[in-house]
Amino acid sequence: METILFNQIWIIPLITVLACIPISASRAKLLRGIHTASASLVLAIVCFLTYRVYSMGAAPATDAANPLLLRFFIDIPWLSLFNAHYTVGADGLNMLLLALTAFIVWAGVLVSYNIKGNQKVFFALIQILATSVYGVYMSFDLVLFFVFYEMEALCMYLMIACYGSGRRDYGGKKLTLTLAFGSSMILATLFGLYFEGGVNSWSLMELSKVTFPMEFQMWAFPLMFMGFAVSSSLFPFHFWSPDGHSSAPTAVSMLAAGVMMKMGAYGCLRVAMFLMPEAAKFWLPYVVALLIFNVVLGPFIAIRHKDLKYITAYSSISHLGLIFLGLAAITPIGLRGASLQMISHGFLTGLFFATIGMIYERTHTRDITQMGGIMRKMPFLGVGFVLAGFAGLGLPGFSGFIAESTIFIGAFQQPSTLTRFVTILAILSITTTAVYILQTANRMLHGPLPQKYESLTDGCFREKLVIVVLVACLLFIGVCPGWISEMLDWSIAPIFEKFL
Amino acid sequence: MSIPNYLFPDILLLIFPFIVIGSRLFCSTQSKVPWRIANVGFIAIFILLNLIPLASGEGRLFISNWKIDDFGVLMREVLIISAILGMWLSKDYFEHSGERQQMHQIAEFIGAIAFATFGGFTVVSACDLLTFFLGLEMATIPMYALTAWNKKDQLGSEAATKYILMGSVATAFELFGFSYLYGFAGSLHFSEIQYAISNGTNPLLWVAVLFLFCGIGFKLTLFPFHTWAPDVYEGAPTPVTAVISVTSKATAIAFLVVLVFGPLAPIQEQIAPLIALLAGTTLFVGNLGALKQSRLRRFMAYSSIAQAGYIMVALLGPATMAKTAIIYYLFVYAVSNYLAFFVFGIIGHYREETFASLRGLSKQDVNLAIALAISMFSLAGIPPLAGFFGKFHLFFSGASTGHYAIVAFAVLNNVIALFYYIQLIKSAWVDEPEGNLSPIRLTKRQRNVVILLSVMVVALGILPFLSNNVFAGFSY
Repeated sequence: METILFNQIWIIPLITVLACIPISASRAKLLRGIHTASASLVLAIVCFLTYRVYSMGAAPATDAANPLLLRFFIDIPWLSLFNAHYTVGADGLNMLLLALTAFIVWAGVLVSYNIKGNQKVFFALIQILATSVYGVYMSFDLVLFFVFYEMEALCMYLMIACYGSGRRDYGGKKLTLTLAFGSSMILATLFGLYFEGGVNSWSLMELSKVTFPMEFQMWAFPLMFMGFAVSSSLFPFHFWSPDGHSSAPTAVSMLAAGVMMKMGAYGCLRVAMFLMPEAAKFWLPYVVALLIFNVVLGPFIAIRHKDLKYITAYSSISHLGLIFLGLAAITPIGLRGASLQMISHGFLTGLFFATIGMIYERTHTRDITQMGGIMRKMPFLGVGFVLAGFAGLGLPGFSGFIAESTIFIGAFQQPSTLTRFVTILAILSITTTAVYILQTANRMLHGPLPQKYESLTDGCFREKLVIVVLVACLLFIGVCPGWISEMLDWSIAPIFEKFL
Repeated sequence: MSIPNYLFPDILLLIFPFIVIGSRLFCSTQSKVPWRIANVGFIAIFILLNLIPLASGEGRLFISNWKIDDFGVLMREVLIISAILGMWLSKDYFEHSGERQQMHQIAEFIGAIAFATFGGFTVVSACDLLTFFLGLEMATIPMYALTAWNKKDQLGSEAATKYILMGSVATAFELFGFSYLYGFAGSLHFSEIQYAISNGTNPLLWVAVLFLFCGIGFKLTLFPFHTWAPDVYEGAPTPVTAVISVTSKATAIAFLVVLVFGPLAPIQEQIAPLIALLAGTTLFVGNLGALKQSRLRRFMAYSSIAQAGYIMVALLGPATMAKTAIIYYLFVYAVSNYLAFFVFGIIGHYREETFASLRGLSKQDVNLAIALAISMFSLAGIPPLAGFFGKFHLFFSGASTGHYAIVAFAVLNNVIALFYYIQLIKSAWVDEPEGNLSPIRLTKRQRNVVILLSVMVVALGILPFLSNNVFAGFSY
C-alpha cells in the first residue's frame, strides 16, 4: 500500500498535466485550483511517507536493496534491450529530499498565481519539472535516474524564456546548455560504468558491489563528478546560475536553486562517490581547493551586486560550496552535514526566492538601491525576507546553523591541512555573508519610502501561508534536528562504509 | 504463412503504384480516388508486414539472391511508415499549392515514392552486389524526379540538377568499389565475398572499401560528401524534403548495415576507425552547420546530416545490438522528423519557411508550438521523448565495443545540437512577431496527424511494450 503510494509521487503530477489538457487556457482559476490541489496531495503523501520512513528507523530492508536500506523498494524490468529497470525506493536521505521537493513545488505553485502568459502551459511545465525532480530522488537505476535528471532541460528553457524577466532568453539558454553539458559528461561515464562493471545491470546496488579498475576510476570519477558539479554550480561551472536564476520566474528560481542544484550534490554523493570511492579519495582534495572560490569569493561578489536575485544566487553558490566541503571531508559527520545542508538550503533559498518574487511583483524592480522603507508597507514580506537572511547566515535556531556547524566539525576532522585551511576560511566567510544580508535588508526594508511605493500592499493570505510554512520548516529543522540526523545517519552509513 | 508468402508485401508494393498511376486515367482532375487507393495500399502492406513473425530465422528466395530476415522486415516497416507519412504530407502540398488544383498529380507523386520505397526493400533483401546496386539506384532515381517536381520553380530545378550530378558521381564511385570487390572475391554473392575476405585481405579490398564508403557517403550525407544536402532540401517541395530526409537516409544506412555486417563483417574491427572518423566529423560538421541557419529546411538538412553521424556511431557495435539500435533510431527519427515537417508544411503554406515566420506561433496556436517543441526536443535527444532513447541505443551500441572516446564526443556534440534546436524553439515561443501575422488554420486531418505524431514521439520511448516487444525478442 505504501509502496503504491510512493510511486504516486511522480505519477500524480503527470496525471494532473493530462487531466488539464481538455480544459481551456482561459479558465485560469480552475487550472490553478487543480494544480494546487495536486501539489498539496503530493505534499501530504510525501509527509506521511517521510514519517513512515522515520518510524521504521534503521530496520533492515529487503535483500534486493542490499547494501542500501531502501524502503518502498520496487524493481521491475523496463527496457530489456539494455537491461534498464524501473527501480525505485527511498532511504532517509532520499525521503527528506523528496519532502523538500514537495514543499518547494507546493510553494512554487502557490506563488505563481499571477504569472503572465499562458497559465495552462506554465503549470503543466512546473508539474513536469516536479516529476523530473521527484524521479531523480526516487530512482536507483542509472538509466531511470538519468532520464529524470535530463528531463529538466525540457521544461527549464521554456519556463525561463517564456515566463521570465530581464535577459530571459540569454539566461535560459545559458542555464539549459550548461546543465546539458554537465549531463552529457554524466551520460558518457554511465556507459563506462555499465560496460566496465560487467554485471549487465544499471542498478546502483549491483554496481556498488563491483570494484572498478583503478585506471577507469581515475578518469571516470572526475568526469562524472564535474558533470554533477555543473548543476550544483561548483567553481568553475558556476557561471550559469546567477544569470539563469535571476531571469527565471519566481517558482522556477525556487525549484532550480532549492531542489535542482541539490540534484548535483546528491548525484556526487549517491552515484560518483558511492560507486568509485578509491578515485574519490584521490580527487576530492583537489575539489577542496576549488571550493575556496565558491565559499569565500561567492559572498564577496554578492556584496557588490545590486539585484536581489543575483545576491541570492551568489549566496546559493557559497552555500552549495559548503555542501561540497562536507562531501570532500569524507567523514560521517561531514557527509551528514552535507546532506543536512542540502535540505536546509533548499528551504532557505526557496523562502528567499519566494519573498523576492512577491516583492518584485509589487515593486517591479529588484534593484536594492531603488527600494527603501518597504518594511512599513509590507511588514509580513519584509520579516519573511529577514528570517530567510538570518537562516542563511547561520543564526542558531534556524536550520542553517545546524547544517553549517556540522559541516565545519566534519571537515575539520579531516587531517589534511588544505581541508582545515579551507574550513577556517569558510567559517570566517560567514561574516561576509552577514555583511551582504544585513546590508541588503537594511537598504531594502528601511530608510525613506519612495513616493511610488506609497500604494503597495502586504502579502495576501496565499503568500503569507507560503512564508509561514517555509519558515516553520526552517525553524523545525533548526530546533529539533535530532530526528533528521538520525534518518540521515543510517542512510549514509552504507556509503561511508565504502571508504573504510 | 510459409516463406514465399512473406513476399506478399514486396509484390504488392511493386504492383500497386501502377494501379495508383493507372487510376488517374479514369478520374477527373479533382478526384481523390488515387489518393485513397494509395492509402489503402500502403496501409495494407504495413499490416501484411506486421503479420510476418519475427525471430524465425531468414528465408531465401530466387536462387538465394533475395532474403527476408528480421532486419529486412523491420526496415520495410520503417520505409513504409515513411512512405505513408510522406504521402499524407504531400496531400496538403497538392491540395493547397497555388490557385490551380493539382490533386490528380498526386498519383505520379505517390508512384515515385512507392518505387523509392521498393528500392529500399530491395537493398535490405539483397544477397548479391547486383541486386544490391539495383535497389540503391531504384531508391535514388525517383528522388531526382521528385526534387524537380515543380518544373517552374528555379530553386527546385537547380537542386535537382545538383542532386543528379552529385548522385551520379556517387554511383560511379560505388560501381567502382563493387568492381574491385568482385575482382577481389571473384563472386557477386555476399556469402562468398565474406568467405574470401575472412581468408585474408589485400590492398585491392581496401580500395574497394574506401570507394564504397565514398559512394554511400554521398547518399547518407556524410562529411565531406554532405554539401548537396542543404541545397536539395531547400529546393525540393516540402513533402519531398521529408521523404528524402527519411526514406533515402534509411535506405543508405541499411546499405551500410548490410555491407558492414554482411560481406565486410570479417574486417569490421579494421574499418572501425574509418567509421568512427566519418561519424565524428559528420556530426560535428552537421552541428556546426546548423548553428547559423535562418531557413527552416536548410536547418533541417544540417540537422539530418548530424543525425547521420549519430547513426554511424552505432555501426561500431556488435551486429545484433547495432541493428536493433539503428532500426529503433530510424523509427524515432522518422516520426520526429515528419512531425517537424508537418509543422513546417503548415506554416510554409501561409508564410515563408524561415525562423522569422515561426515568431508568435505559441500565441497563435499553442498546440502547434507544443508539437514543434516536442519534435525539436526529441531530435535533440532530451528524455523522456523518443529521441533520447534512440540516441541512447546508438551510443550504447557504440560503447559496447569500448569506443568510449567517440561516444563521449558524440554526447558532447549533443549540447551544440541542443543549442540550435533551442534557437528554433525560441523563435516559436519567445520572439515577438513583426507586424500582423497571417492566421494559421489547420484542417481536421492536419490536426489529427500532428496529434498522432506528437503522442508517438512521447510514447515510443517510455512505453516498454513498444520498444521491447517489437525489438527485444528476436534474433537477426
